Amino acid sequence: MGPMTSAPDPHEPGTAASEPPRPVLSDVPGGLLGQDALRPVSPKLVPARYLAATVGYALGLIAIAGAIVGAVLTGWWWLGLLALLPVALIVQSLALTPRRVRAIGYHDGEDELTIASGIMFRTVSSIPYGRVQSVKIDEGPVDRRYGLAQLSVSTAAGGSTVTLPGLPKEEAERLRTLLTDRGISTMAAL
Amino acid sequence: MSSPEQPLPPPPDGHPDPASAPASAPATAAGPDPAAERRRTHPITPLVTGWKIVIGIIAVLTAQNIARLANDFTITRALIGLGVIAAAVLVSVLFAALSWWFTTYAVDEGGVSLHKGMLSRTREYAPRARIESVSVERPLLARLLGLAKVRIEVAGGGESYLDIEYVRSADAEELRRGILGVAARTRTPEEERRDGGAPGAASGSVTASSVPGTGEEPARDGGDGAVSARDRLLYDGVTDGELIAQIPTGRLVRSLLRDLGFLAGIVMSIVGVAVAIALGFWQEGFSIAMIIALLPTLIAVPRYVFGRIESGWGFLSRITDRGLRMRRGLANTRTDNIASGRIQRIALRRPLLWRGPGWTAVTATVAGIEDDDENGAESVLPVGTREELRATLGHLAAPLGTADDLATLEHLLTAPAREIEGLRTSVGLFWISRRTRVSVLLPGALVVRRGVLTRSVEVIPRERLQQLRVGDGPLARRLGVLDLTIDVAGHSLNLDDLAREDVLRLHAVLTRDAATLRRYRDQERWPRPVLSPAAGRPAPPPVQGAPETAPPDEEERR
Repeated sequence: MGPMTSAPDPHEPGTAASEPPRPVLSDVPGGLLGQDALRPVSPKLVPARYLAATVGYALGLIAIAGAIVGAVLTGWWWLGLLALLPVALIVQSLALTPRRVRAIGYHDGEDELTIASGIMFRTVSSIPYGRVQSVKIDEGPVDRRYGLAQLSVSTAAGGSTVTLPGLPKEEAERLRTLLTDRGISTMAAL
Repeated sequence: MSSPEQPLPPPPDGHPDPASAPASAPATAAGPDPAAERRRTHPITPLVTGWKIVIGIIAVLTAQNIARLANDFTITRALIGLGVIAAAVLVSVLFAALSWWFTTYAVDEGGVSLHKGMLSRTREYAPRARIESVSVERPLLARLLGLAKVRIEVAGGGESYLDIEYVRSADAEELRRGILGVAARTRTPEEERRDGGAPGAASGSVTASSVPGTGEEPARDGGDGAVSARDRLLYDGVTDGELIAQIPTGRLVRSLLRDLGFLAGIVMSIVGVAVAIALGFWQEGFSIAMIIALLPTLIAVPRYVFGRIESGWGFLSRITDRGLRMRRGLANTRTDNIASGRIQRIALRRPLLWRGPGWTAVTATVAGIEDDDENGAESVLPVGTREELRATLGHLAAPLGTADDLATLEHLLTAPAREIEGLRTSVGLFWISRRTRVSVLLPGALVVRRGVLTRSVEVIPRERLQQLRVGDGPLARRLGVLDLTIDVAGHSLNLDDLAREDVLRLHAVLTRDAATLRRYRDQERWPRPVLSPAAGRPAPPPVQGAPETAPPDEEERR
């Protein structure tokens, strides 16, 4: 087919280089998608997440205790099985939080911000600076204790906000300044 | 910002005539102009809206209790009921009248503002630069009373619109023109003419009966294409500008009869209702309760059919210097206006039996206009011939960058999917998807072809990409595939289960597109619709007082 081409041949003259760009995301078998080029977030996010989860843990422990006490008092052994669900939730949270935090990564590239998260189900978002509509920095009480902040970036695309947790405060500020400055200089129309 | 502040005289009648509006407003026009005259909607409005509330209440009450009501019927009760209804009408009309009294609107240089509410007052404001489109809707009851509703769409999710309801039909037209004049802050038809040549004449002629010297002003008598009063009434004032598409009723009816999905849906629901009734009879004889239970379906089917007919009935689109104007509707009519530079995505659809006559349905996504199948606001061509498709796309959409865009689209719509060169899933197991879904990256757009019987083609201009997401999962890792989600304003496109290296390559290309295309600083190089008068011309001339390169919030920022 003449006009049909799947080869990337974009752009009017002068807009950008015309050779196809190389893939920016690395894909190593066994590794996490795009992880090579990404910077990790602060390791302090691990204790911060543990601290934030303590309320949940406490509730889980109460549920476990309740199930066991109930099983002993009533003699219905299967009541004890109900304790398995909170046990599973607590154990996976304790065991996997460090890995989950390490799987979060970001990269402030030349033209776009890349944010990745997730181990099993991994999502890598690319947001060009020129398309950013708003940047928000959130600091919860726990985050503040560890000197962390969460960055939220949104574009005009249907209400989807990309968040990047666990940034040291000054790094979050730096990113916000970068996003706003680069956003103004490369602002793109809708 | 940099342009000097200049005091604006309040428009004489609240909706500035585009011709008299000063060409440059202060860029800092961030809020409503307090001096602008606030106007109320038409005084009959409370009757129209109040009546609707009563109808709603009665419908809910009777639908739930009609069996009991029928059993306990006496004259006294009926009279009491009527009295209650009358009181309800009175009360709701009173409330509607109060809310009418507190509803005011104003159109000024900065945009449109709408104040509502008695106890909790809301002040909505649509800044000029963010107005995406203006439509005039005429629901049946309002239409009988000669009223219309003006809806101003603003970019944004959810309920991002301002409704001015109801105003006199003629006022609505004037209002629409005034708002668009404010929104486009453009040159008047006179200026356009002085610049040499009517813009419509520059584009390829489509069909006869185009009115020369386009422009929004109602055609003056003595002009070349004097428009009769009958036509103006018939087409709700959409009589100026070059004719792009007009759908005869015959074609509309035949297109519905040829739409197998539509027919199958109707047949299934009719059969379903019939079976349910038959079963009911067989089980326990005739009962009102059973009919009541089926009532929603009995209403929904004709409503759907009528909605489909209505969304294409008397469809007419014309190109004006403020974009594409469309008119449609049978009982409820509406006119919409879509500016050509604001299309985020286009979808073409061609059911099996439309292939013979070569008809295509086109819907367009504009940021802010809601995804609402019912009123057909997104449909820019309900069923069009090739020629109409060419004209519509030529005026609305940026070029695809191929040698012959229409031929390319036609090929994408007609060729079997396996003959289209492009990306498809690498997993042999997904053989349906493998044979029916193809993604093609053209120089100007990313195009996805789907469907076997009803073929659809989705076109996402590469300059409109907002952000990209790559999704990975355990199964995807096993199969060696990735999912790519492409977001534009108002729509997300999922390309699922493509080979990993394909996705990563495509991701790199599209990320660069999203990052570099359609920047304000190279506004002159933005692709423009081929047939639009602005195509090939440099960017709109700088307005007086404004800097040469318009700052982002000047021209098209939303």
